[in-house]
Amino acid sequence: MARVTPDARAVAAVIGLAYALGYLYALGDLSTAPQPAWSLTVGDPARWLDQRVVFQFEGIGMLQAGSLVWLISPLNILIAAALGLLFALNVDGAWALWRQPAACGMTSRGGGLVAAVPALAAGGACCAPSLLLLLGIPGLGAFAALFAWLVPLSLVLLLASRWWQRRRGAPPWGRAHPG
Amino acid sequence: MRHTILLMALVITGTSEALAQPPAVQSRLMDAALEDYRDNIRTGAAKDGIPSIDDPVFMDVEAADAFLADNDRVIGIYMNGEARAYPQRILVWHEIVNDTVDGEPVSITYCPLTGTGLGFHRNGTEFGVSGKLLNSNLVMYDRATESRYPQILATGISGPMAGKGLEEFRTVFTEWGRWKERHPDTRVLSTDTGIMRNYQQDPYGDYNPISGYYEPESRRMFPVMNEDDRYPVKHEILGFRTGNHAVAVDLDTLRAAGVIERRIEGERYVVIHDPVLDTGWVYRGDAEIDTGEIDFGAEGPRFDGRDGLEPVNAFRAMWFAWSAFYPNTTVIDDGPGDA
Repeated sequence: MARVTPDARAVAAVIGLAYALGYLYALGDLSTAPQPAWSLTVGDPARWLDQRVVFQFEGIGMLQAGSLVWLISPLNILIAAALGLLFALNVDGAWALWRQPAACGMTSRGGGLVAAVPALAAGGACCAPSLLLLLGIPGLGAFAALFAWLVPLSLVLLLASRWWQRRRGAPPWGRAHPG
Repeated sequence: MRHTILLMALVITGTSEALAQPPAVQSRLMDAALEDYRDNIRTGAAKDGIPSIDDPVFMDVEAADAFLADNDRVIGIYMNGEARAYPQRILVWHEIVNDTVDGEPVSITYCPLTGTGLGFHRNGTEFGVSGKLLNSNLVMYDRATESRYPQILATGISGPMAGKGLEEFRTVFTEWGRWKERHPDTRVLSTDTGIMRNYQQDPYGDYNPISGYYEPESRRMFPVMNEDDRYPVKHEILGFRTGNHAVAVDLDTLRAAGVIERRIEGERYVVIHDPVLDTGWVYRGDAEIDTGEIDFGAEGPRFDGRDGLEPVNAFRAMWFAWSAFYPNTTVIDDGPGDA
């Protein structure tokens, strides 16, 4: 009989949302301002396809709510939503596989951890300067142009990981975890 | 008659083509071959991924005071009787402003990774950010010929302008409070750039107070062609170069001395500290001067004998970048780093 685990799913959803917001923050689309204010600035909507680097797009508006500033880029939001959704699905699937391996006849308890790999990759995909500043390794900048390609790599790995989880019995998002 | 019209058309076409590219001067000092520079190019962003400001809007001092603190950095220019300031907090996101001052098309350029601000005449074209870097330094391109120019080198390294120098003019990388003291009627680049950026935040650190990437001891980000550990990596020097040699002046030495006279490879240089802008003004020549009574106006220092000297462009730079481009640089420093 299926056992519903709404708490685990809610946690996965929250983690996915946090991941999407974290992605936008690392990208620079979400940032802070030392001078709090409330304003909405509308930019040139024709710039929505312009790229800053590969897979990072220009904003067409800017919202400042207190100390929080949000550069509104439709395509960056779309990518963040896709990454967040896939990450949540992976967390949910990993949790299901971790908790119920015997009942589902699974052979590898650690298989769900594969989901963490693309997440790490996506985390580094956000902003080359941020990553370089964080790591502070001279010469690493030679590879800065490659960092942006971690975004599609993450998407592919997250999709592959989810597919792997489903093959091993992880339930779809809309269905309760088996118990 | 037909030939006259044809000739006029050719002249007009030729003139417009010449005007479309930046004015060329003799190649500036290069310590490597063009091919070596091209081989050391790195990619940092997409072409125009750091968008230049092509239709700058300006504000007055009162409006700027609401945005800038006195210790915030600006790049200032004074040209044809007009002063303009370009806040570092805006330039860090755009690196190039294609502006027109009293009918003169100019570009104000800033590279955050090397801490350098230079001004260039541009004729009828514009400069853009290529997304490439050389020694961490901004590599610009001109939109008429697509030639590429590292900002510090100020010389084309590829395209039709390869080997040709850009025509520079003086900029001052200083603090907002200092600039408005010297130029109370200055106009200031506005945040109304048409491009969405959070101008209250610098992605690399802060100059007020100095932190992050700008700290003298912090590490550089990209590989360089030459390394020199005489100073901390991000230590700011005042650099100038001629066709023959490059000179780095330690700012503390200059502040303490007020005026430095030095003969380098047979040529005499005079470097005068400007206490208001905290910068140096460099002159070359053998004319007798009286540096005992120097006062400062909008154009810089005024003293007897100045007309007999040739002004030499100078700008601040992070040490690692200066020494990467000019490994044979002379250093003027009263401390142990003097060479």
